[in-house]
Amino acid sequence: MDPYNYLYLAALLFTIGAVGVVLRRNAIVVFMCIELMLNAGNLTLVTFSRMNGNLNGQVIAFFTMVVAACEVVVGLAIIVAIYRSRRSASIDDASLLKR
Amino acid sequence: MVTSSSLVYLIGLPLFGAVFLLLMGRKADKWGHLFATAMSAGSFVLGLLHFFAMTNRSEEERPITQTLFTWIEAGDFKVDAALLLDQLSICFVLLISGVGTLIHIYSISYMSHDENRRRFFAYLNLFVASMLLLVLGNSYLNLYVGWEGVGLASYLLIGFWNQKPAYATASKKAFVMNRVGDMGLTIAIMIAFATMGTVSFDGVKEAVDRVGTPTLTAMGIMLLVAAAGKSAQFPLQAWLGDAMAGPTPVSALIHAATMVTAGVYLIVRSNFVFDAAPTAQLLVVIVGAITLIFGAIIGMAKDDIKKALAASTMSQIGYMIVAAGLGPAGYAFAIMHLLTHGFFKAGMFLGAGSVMHGMNDEVNMRKYGGLRKMMPITFATFGLGYLAIIGVPPFAGFYSKDEIIATAFNSGGAQGIILGSVTLLGAVITAFYMTRVMVLTFSGKPRWDDGVHPHESPALMWLPMALLAIGSVTAGYLFTQGEALVHWLSPLFAKKGEYDELMPHSVVTVLAITAVIIGVTAALMKYQFKSVDSVVPTDVSLATRLARNDLGQDVVNEALFMRPGQALTEGIVAIDERVVDGAVRGIGAMTVGSGATLRRTQSGYVRSYAALILLGALVLLAGIWVVTQ
Amino acid sequence: MSTFITPVLNYAMLAPILVVLAGALIGVLIEAFAPQRSRSSSQLLLAVFTLIVALLALIRTRGTYSNKVAMNSVTFDGAGYLLQMSILIIALIAILLLADSDKFAAAPTAAPGSDEERQAQAANIRVTEIYPLTLFAIAGMLLFTVSSDLITLFVALEVLSLPLYLMAGLARRRRLASQEAALKYFLLGAFSSAFFLFGIAYLYGYSDSITFAGIAAAITGGAANDVFLLIGISFVSVGLLFKVSAVPFHSWAPDVYQGAPTAVTAFMAAATKVAAFGAMLRIFYVAFAGDVWQWRPMLTAVALVTMVFGSLVAISQRDVKRMLAYSSIAHAGFLLSGIIALNKSGLDATIFYLFAYGVATVGAFAIVSLVSDSSGEVSDLNRWAGLGKRSPWIATSFAFLLLTFAGIPLTSGFVGKFAIFSAAYESGNTAILITGVLSSAIAAFFYIRIIVLIFFKDPVEDGTSVVIPSMYTRITIVASLIITLVLGVFPAPVLDYITQTAFFLR
Repeated sequence: MDPYNYLYLAALLFTIGAVGVVLRRNAIVVFMCIELMLNAGNLTLVTFSRMNGNLNGQVIAFFTMVVAACEVVVGLAIIVAIYRSRRSASIDDASLLKR
Repeated sequence: MVTSSSLVYLIGLPLFGAVFLLLMGRKADKWGHLFATAMSAGSFVLGLLHFFAMTNRSEEERPITQTLFTWIEAGDFKVDAALLLDQLSICFVLLISGVGTLIHIYSISYMSHDENRRRFFAYLNLFVASMLLLVLGNSYLNLYVGWEGVGLASYLLIGFWNQKPAYATASKKAFVMNRVGDMGLTIAIMIAFATMGTVSFDGVKEAVDRVGTPTLTAMGIMLLVAAAGKSAQFPLQAWLGDAMAGPTPVSALIHAATMVTAGVYLIVRSNFVFDAAPTAQLLVVIVGAITLIFGAIIGMAKDDIKKALAASTMSQIGYMIVAAGLGPAGYAFAIMHLLTHGFFKAGMFLGAGSVMHGMNDEVNMRKYGGLRKMMPITFATFGLGYLAIIGVPPFAGFYSKDEIIATAFNSGGAQGIILGSVTLLGAVITAFYMTRVMVLTFSGKPRWDDGVHPHESPALMWLPMALLAIGSVTAGYLFTQGEALVHWLSPLFAKKGEYDELMPHSVVTVLAITAVIIGVTAALMKYQFKSVDSVVPTDVSLATRLARNDLGQDVVNEALFMRPGQALTEGIVAIDERVVDGAVRGIGAMTVGSGATLRRTQSGYVRSYAALILLGALVLLAGIWVVTQ
Repeated sequence: MSTFITPVLNYAMLAPILVVLAGALIGVLIEAFAPQRSRSSSQLLLAVFTLIVALLALIRTRGTYSNKVAMNSVTFDGAGYLLQMSILIIALIAILLLADSDKFAAAPTAAPGSDEERQAQAANIRVTEIYPLTLFAIAGMLLFTVSSDLITLFVALEVLSLPLYLMAGLARRRRLASQEAALKYFLLGAFSSAFFLFGIAYLYGYSDSITFAGIAAAITGGAANDVFLLIGISFVSVGLLFKVSAVPFHSWAPDVYQGAPTAVTAFMAAATKVAAFGAMLRIFYVAFAGDVWQWRPMLTAVALVTMVFGSLVAISQRDVKRMLAYSSIAHAGFLLSGIIALNKSGLDATIFYLFAYGVATVGAFAIVSLVSDSSGEVSDLNRWAGLGKRSPWIATSFAFLLLTFAGIPLTSGFVGKFAIFSAAYESGNTAILITGVLSSAIAAFFYIRIIVLIFFKDPVEDGTSVVIPSMYTRITIVASLIITLVLGVFPAPVLDYITQTAFFLR
């Protein structure tokens, strides 16, 4: 199969993620969209790894997973803290800071 | 003998005074004023030593430089922090430190009741130091440091009594107007740097031949903007009148003798630029001529003695700017008028301060009258200054103004006739409004408020006035004796071309004296031989009303500077809030379809930020794509 | 399949980073085992000690350069040395601000106004996690400036970012705003790092290499697919431009600067900028230099828009922290011109500017943290009116730092601007030069507007006052003022040193 198809798929996933970040209101869902974008990056890396014929891309993908896991920890901590104070995970509610 | 390595102490002494007094705090209250005066006097004495040393050297060896350290070095570009003392800067050094010291002495008594007198003296010292740095810097960049320094010190001094709102507002106005001028200087420096690769006076002088006239014209115009801001020239003159709200010695120092003349210094110092850029030079003359008349007209209508003097300063600096714009023929006379003006105007301001001191800080001349007998010394010193400014021979102003009028006439063609007439007209008006000030204050019947008991000021105050009065009497004669000042300064300027004396000097002198007589007579007719109301008459002509309102300068300023600035800012904010946010939301909406549009517009900020980032990324991508294709 | 090679690490050169990481880990242990009472002081002591040791370890490495410090992943060269030095010095000044622990939430996880929070406050519990978090962030920053491959760059970016997200949410007062700042910073930061990762993937796809040197070689070779390169450069730039808060990736900055505790803002604004621009310098100078004709126009456009936008919007701000945020956006524009210049003087000037700006920023925010009323800090500009009369020293210091930002002579800001614009001019970029000078003129107006407000307006009587600075805050402010002044009056030795030292090993 043409490896380019995986690139297209990854680009599509990335776009879905990015659009989701812009459109969804629940902080958790927004965060999941970001994870989707990161995973689109991973897929791209693995594809290129295959195309280039070396393992570097796959290694980066592992690193990315670890980093993404850390991000989840920090992100959920923040979101939970906000949920406790506001009883809402909507990012639209959090707009005290503006102008 | 003094050497170039001591130049730094000229600035260092008053700077040390300022820092020391500010750091010492209240502990120094008892002797702070004396210390500051000593620092300033020390600087003057050192200046005198340098002057005598300079006269002993041959003409080529007179300029000396002291390099302190390398300030900025970036690639080939290098700026030293260096001081240059030449024939021009020594004049200023003596004027600044000399008049500065006298004003320090005067302030000891004038400010004796102020609990913050030490701080005031620290600021005075800071001002003297910055002003000296301004005239001693060997490059535009060093000059700029002093330029900002005097700005800072002058705001501190004008706003010194800043518990009173009017004073604070005045500081603010001066602050903002000066920024416009400073921007001119910044841009001029950038032009020099960008086209010539140097910002030192010597470097620019050499590079003038290499760059084109348009560049020099642009630089000249920017220098003129800078000069206009600092020297209260049209159209940046509005702040000077308001700045009179500060303590009177400050007005004498800053708004008569030193800071406001920095613009003239800048233009004369940049003579090589203006000589090579005739358009800019012409603009200089025009600005000077307009201000000359403008200031004089305002001066006729002001009842506030200090504001009348301020308007007169504006007008007299107009004379200097005109002279400086006349090229090599005029530079020396611009400086000469600057020096004589420094004496007589500072003296008159101190006189005004002395009058106010005796009149419970009353500034309205309509409430003065008949003070001649109560304040004989003030009357005498102020009177000598008066004779000097209107140009009665043999007082100082006569010589310097006479030369400027003659040079104006001799600049040739229609320009010469127009300029000559303008300067003559200025002389008439000057004679008129100064006579008005004289008569309203010292002559006629007393129109004092109840409870006012005018009295002569203490010796510490009249002594400086007397010394300045001596200067106003003798300076002009000394400077012109054998064309001393012209010869002294001539090595710095291009040779003046030979020109026909279109108007013989003797004729000019006669014309000038006639102008004075007309002005004085008119003023006497109006004020001496008629009674003066202590309230301001309201049934006056439109012209008078206009003049009282500073010829509408505030209205013009508001329309010209403030409104567009505010509109621009508001517009940008509106764009940021509506257009950017709106566009961002719009894209979100387009993606999903119009059904949810209304709900989307309510979306929160995080998402619009994210959309902005997304949009930015796409634009970046598209941009690079376009470049690649 | 390639064989596995045992990695060779040069521990001496990695020492500064390792020391900071070790300090952070010890901090975590202290947090777990030390008694509540002694935590605060021991954490501060540990953090300062760690930073000093790291600084000494860094100084020990001077003059030794290598691009094989950790295989090909980390490069120590002159530029890296200077950038790490700047980060450590700025961090050392800024970390003292954290010592005023009454600025931080007692129980960050408790809901605002809950019983839990009240109990924590009553028990005088102090949040000390912030010290190890700061140290982790510093370690990430140090690594970010010397990374020379894509994995290390990405990991370093996250190591520096994640602690900052948390730190932004720790304010004691206005907790909702602070948490909101944390959320915004986190979501947008993660969003931009997704772009960054995607860009990295494409750079790898383009060059078949993950090192900067490999990418540079592929660009010079020019045989590979240009579209990959294009996507790679754009998306990696998005991640970096986000971190430096360049327009249009700036929108987080004002909110986060305002919402975060001021001490954190000080550290974040100053140190992150150095790290992010450091990494940007390296990647653009080393990896992308061969492709300059493609990215220069876009980056120039971003720089121009950033300068003008930052300066103009700052004028209308009513909150001093937001104003400083927009000023930092404008400064990002000025700094970008150093990167666009792509020459030696651009490199020198950017490093100088970064250091000078970072130090002044820490000082400015330190002063902001002092102006307060009974309910906490006052950042509303209107209430700063007349500050000059009540606290002349503080007001004068603040005015001086504002003049630095404005670039008035005798301050480091002037020298920095001068150097950076002359570098831009040298590279023939007159658009940058002109826009830069004009927007710094605009910028000067709003800095001066504030000075006017502070000194020439009558104070409002609403209980706004300046708290007496603690010893630590005082050290921070004084150090920042002294460095700013010295760099303004005698910049030559520092400029010389940077000129001699700064270079990139390729």
